[in-house]
Amino acid sequence: MRPVGFSTTPNLVLRLPMWRSRLMLFLLFFVFMLLLIRAFWIQGPGNAFYEAKGVRGTQRELELPASRGKILDRNGQVIATSLEAKSVIAYNDTVPDDLAADKVRKLASLLQISEADLRKKLKEERKQIFLKRQVDPEIAQQIKQLEIPGIGLNNEYRRFYPEGEAMAHVVGFTNVEDRGQEGMELSREKDLAGHAGQRRVVVDRLGRVVQEVGIEQLPQNGKDLQLSVDSKIQYIAYNAVKSAVEDHHAKAGGAVVLDTQTGEILALANYPSYNPNDRRNLNGEQLRNRVLTDMFEPGSTIKPFTVSAALEKGVINPNTVLPIGSSYLVGKKPITDTHPNGSLSVAQIIQKSSNIGAAKIAMNYLSPEEMWDMYSAVGFGQAPKIGFPGAVTGTLHPYKKWVASDQARVAFGYGLSGSLFQVARAYTIFARDGELVPLTIDRSPDFKPGTRVISAKTAQEMRQMLETVTQPGGTAVKAQADGYRVGGKTGTAHKLVGKGYGNKYLAYFAGIAPISSPRISVAVMIDEPTGGSYYGGDVAAPVFSTIVSETLRTLNVLPDSSVKQATLADGGATDTPVASAKVQHVVSKK
Amino acid sequence: MNRATLTLLSLLLICALSLVAAQQRARKLFIALEHAQIEERQLNQDWLRLEYEQRNLSKSARIRDVARNQLHMVPISPERTLYLKEAK
Repeated sequence: MRPVGFSTTPNLVLRLPMWRSRLMLFLLFFVFMLLLIRAFWIQGPGNAFYEAKGVRGTQRELELPASRGKILDRNGQVIATSLEAKSVIAYNDTVPDDLAADKVRKLASLLQISEADLRKKLKEERKQIFLKRQVDPEIAQQIKQLEIPGIGLNNEYRRFYPEGEAMAHVVGFTNVEDRGQEGMELSREKDLAGHAGQRRVVVDRLGRVVQEVGIEQLPQNGKDLQLSVDSKIQYIAYNAVKSAVEDHHAKAGGAVVLDTQTGEILALANYPSYNPNDRRNLNGEQLRNRVLTDMFEPGSTIKPFTVSAALEKGVINPNTVLPIGSSYLVGKKPITDTHPNGSLSVAQIIQKSSNIGAAKIAMNYLSPEEMWDMYSAVGFGQAPKIGFPGAVTGTLHPYKKWVASDQARVAFGYGLSGSLFQVARAYTIFARDGELVPLTIDRSPDFKPGTRVISAKTAQEMRQMLETVTQPGGTAVKAQADGYRVGGKTGTAHKLVGKGYGNKYLAYFAGIAPISSPRISVAVMIDEPTGGSYYGGDVAAPVFSTIVSETLRTLNVLPDSSVKQATLADGGATDTPVASAKVQHVVSKK
Repeated sequence: MNRATLTLLSLLLICALSLVAAQQRARKLFIALEHAQIEERQLNQDWLRLEYEQRNLSKSARIRDVARNQLHMVPISPERTLYLKEAK
């Protein structure tokens, strides 16, 4: 008998078909292959998805805030600045429904809204809602201390304007998103606004930043902007205009002060104004930057240019005498003067502001083209290029369309229009010996060459004539300024009401000072003065006087007129010219 | 052979530990940097706020009011002014 081993018993020998083991092998191999492919996929092409998931858990993108640039005046004083403020946000799904009543009350009082309003806001469907924006940091701190779950604080900026009303029209303001809406804030938005940056950081389990992966975009703070405006002079001008508007029960007023040497705008004042820090209940009247955006007929303030054109042509001189009479008929309507005159010299036509005189100079000595060239050369009919939103062009119709009566009336300022700013600019030709100065609102305190419009001789003759306007016998004795010789021209224009001229007036005064070496050009407008006189010489000239004397003093300009000495070291009041007697020469310590 | 392995192993361990330490220090420094940056921002804000307050206290309207009403000052007039000019 064949011995049978323990492990080789024939009973245990199974004759299984071969395919079963093959199948098994294949299945195992197949599943492993699937796993391999999957592993390959995760490592290779499909990796980005998992990587992103991982990054999302540990990395955050944080915004790097950028601040808006400051606006400074010519002396570096802040006139607009951004301070941090907080916005209060409610995450309504996190705020508990059974919030303690006293906490709600406290929060409402801190936010200065009613309790009912607050409750309504907290019940709204939206996930998150601004409860209040631009909250003061101190109040925000108190809100934080209430420790209400679901009430969060966000950083933002709020714009502050220390000069308030006086500077409102120059600076303008920004909206709640910190975007410029008016004035310089709007026109220089690009430079002032910063660009927020972004950075990527690694956070730990508790959300604390532990590592910076990289800065994706550097924040760019807005650039500071320095204007040519002097906040002191601006305040002087604003105050003078404001009190004149109130005294004469006028509708509005405005004033421009220009530096004739550098072409810088020193002040642009408008009244009524508004407080840019609190812009509730604003109306269009308050917002209007009249000095630049209101067009009016310049009236008599244009006469010096008519006369200049004729002087320049050499057909008249300041002493040429013209017969005036009580009326002058050109076209259908006769031209008249307020006070009839027999005959006047050219200088007297300016001094007494004779409409007939100006019209006769135009009709007898000038062609429409020559007049048009003069007005156009001094800037009428062209928008001033100072980058201010809404600056008007004015109208100066082509001379080919003028009929005789147009030509005569344009000569004394009717039938063309411009802004007060354009008038102030035009007067720089008398200050600068015949050159028109390019203007700027950016600080640039160096002398600027201008474009020659008239000869130096004509400009000097005009200066003398303009000074006589403010001397006894002239239309604006009230324009005289303490200590300074001034020259200028009054204007009283009928306002266009509908299609004709009503009984509403605009009173102007435009002039330069000090006459011996002009430094500033000032134009003042008072709109619809009522109650008493409406003449430029009575209403606008005193404003000019105040602005000129205070501005020149601020600019440290030496007085050039003789004044009565009130207190002298050696006693006694003497009438001495300041330039020689009161100026003592001292040796510098340097 | 055995000694070399041991040396390398201990070197590796030291490197690994110092890496951990360095990373820990980097994180601590980073947190300090963050704090300093936050403080810088805060100080900048404070400076801006103080500048604004100073400006608010020195604005023309307030100076005029204080000078006239509290200090009873009057505007200068050329009649009462002695002008000095630097000799060249």
